[in-house]
Amino acid sequence: MRPAELVVEGGITEIFGRASSGRTSMLVACLREVTRRGAVAALVDTDHVFDPSGAARAGVELSRVLWVRCGRRPDRALRAADLLVRCPGFALVALDTGALTPRVSLAEAYRLKLAVRRARTALVIVTRHRLVASGAALALETSRRGCEWAGPRPAPTRLEGAGSAVAVVRARGGAVDWRPGSVHLAWWNA
Amino acid sequence: MSHFACAWVPCFAAAAFERAEPALVDRPLVIVRGTPPVARVAEASAAAREHRIAPGMTETEARARCPLLVVRPWSDARVDSARHALLEAALTVSPRVEDGGPGLVHVDVAGLGRLVGDARAIADRLVRQVSAVGLSARVGIAQSRVAARLAAQGGPRLTVVPSGGERALLAAVPLSALELGRELIDTFRGWGVRTLGELAGLPRRSLGDRLGAAGLRAHDLALGLDRDPFRVHVPEPYWEEMLGLEWEIVSLDALAAVIERVLERLTTRLAVVHVSADAVDLELTLASGTMHQRAIALAYPTRDVRLILTLIRLDLETHPPPAAVVGVTLRARPAVARPTPAELWQPPAPAHRDLASLLTRLTALVGAGNLGAAALVDSHRPDAFTLGPFTGAAPSDPAVRADAAGEPDPRMMLRRAEPPLAVSVETGDGRPRWLTSEGTRARVLACAGPWRISGEWWDTRAWARDEWDVLLSDTRLCRLAHDRLANHWHLVGLYD
Repeated sequence: MRPAELVVEGGITEIFGRASSGRTSMLVACLREVTRRGAVAALVDTDHVFDPSGAARAGVELSRVLWVRCGRRPDRALRAADLLVRCPGFALVALDTGALTPRVSLAEAYRLKLAVRRARTALVIVTRHRLVASGAALALETSRRGCEWAGPRPAPTRLEGAGSAVAVVRARGGAVDWRPGSVHLAWWNA
Repeated sequence: MSHFACAWVPCFAAAAFERAEPALVDRPLVIVRGTPPVARVAEASAAAREHRIAPGMTETEARARCPLLVVRPWSDARVDSARHALLEAALTVSPRVEDGGPGLVHVDVAGLGRLVGDARAIADRLVRQVSAVGLSARVGIAQSRVAARLAAQGGPRLTVVPSGGERALLAAVPLSALELGRELIDTFRGWGVRTLGELAGLPRRSLGDRLGAAGLRAHDLALGLDRDPFRVHVPEPYWEEMLGLEWEIVSLDALAAVIERVLERLTTRLAVVHVSADAVDLELTLASGTMHQRAIALAYPTRDVRLILTLIRLDLETHPPPAAVVGVTLRARPAVARPTPAELWQPPAPAHRDLASLLTRLTALVGAGNLGAAALVDSHRPDAFTLGPFTGAAPSDPAVRADAAGEPDPRMMLRRAEPPLAVSVETGDGRPRWLTSEGTRARVLACAGPWRISGEWWDTRAWARDEWDVLLSDTRLCRLAHDRLANHWHLVGLYD
């Protein structure tokens, strides 16, 4: 799985799943991919969970990421994401909805989809449950597939990494490389 | 051939006050600095000097010498206003004007003969123009600025020094008339030199050997020669447009339409001279008779009407005028906009005008402290960062770019809990066994650690903790920390 495939220009990508399933790691991989090629990204962070030092270690150019912290207010986060996708020039707008999934009506999802298409940006949403339903060009469900520990057993000293299974729930529009129902594996080093 | 006029206003500070209060003319007037009883005379008018009042005297002493004395405290605003008026008057005679200090202006009058007349006509015109702005000046004309100045200061109302007559004019002038510095004047006095004529008679080479560049400059001035460059005074443009209304505006939409018209006029003027606005000051005249003033800082110099109007509108939405508006005034603080072309293969970034507008809207939504580009700080604390302004530019530090240019493996990210969540941890054999947080209890299936970190032990903000990576029975993979100073456990974040 390549992060560039998750960034659908003019489309919405939804990454949903339980905690510790690898959603944020996929999002940061997308941020790294975008900023590495010199483009500008924005991150709407509902619950202030973004870790700048970890992202920098992962290769994200922090100066190219506009970080918007929304004070645990999902309504503000949605409004901020709406403003960002209407501003042309951002290659990626990431929305992390935090612990709670806000309600988005079909009409709102449709308007968001049109705004993303018009600005030719990519909107990646990290959430617990699906948010924009049919508005998404790509919907991926993540689940954890084990983790590795390093050091002598039974008391290991270091977490080595964890794996994720990424199931494609929906793939439309520009996301032609993904087939619904297929499962991809990813590995993240700690 | 160069030709200079010098307009000099004697007792300038007092003249500035007389200009502001014409009733003070011909009355003994002193301007004082400081607070009583230690207030001292900073300037005395000609009428006050007739009573032997001089600068440096205490106010009490001055009053004792002249019971009818008028005393005014010093005002920078009045003196600056008179200084600008003097310069503007000189600019009506010649475009090349030098500000010589308070009450003194040098005017390059070379080439004005065919336009105005002979030297006396030029001097007469300068006197009239200065008089028109409420000041009374003496004017000297000579081939050098120093000769013109000394002629104005030492002669009658109009003095024209004939060509080649500078040295004769300066011969009897005392050394103190030149601003040479106390040390140099004391040296000359030690040599028995009292006048500029005596100084001009000294051998130049010997003077240079003994006193260096300062001695040569003094010799030149004594001969009536100017070597200093002529610093042309360029008046600052006044970027203001206003519109008075015959009706009252109460809605923001209608007000925005009026502001747009005024703004278009202002930006057109800016475009003519190729400058942009760095900030815009909005002044609304209200029906209640008061003013509603707002300063709109722009993220970058621009003269884009749409952008500035949007920012003004957003500002007025948060700070609406308290009454109906009957007049609009806009002032621009100009700056030269330097376009910076993007790199050839650089992906498109948000346009400056869109970005400025977006940031303003986001700031209104989430607050200024919650928006920007994160930057790491040099600290041992793993969660240390600062939030700076976002420009979308590449990192300026080449080392940062070099780090980013590598190919790191995909990394598992931590979702940090801000602030760290206090949890209850049961331990066994020194390792976490059970975790209770927010009413849920989970068994620790696996854990790794401890990683002992600490910092700022030299300060009052010392911290020290042991960090553990744990896998919980509810599938969460998280990082715990045991604060060794406070003996508390908290959840640093979730791996995700």
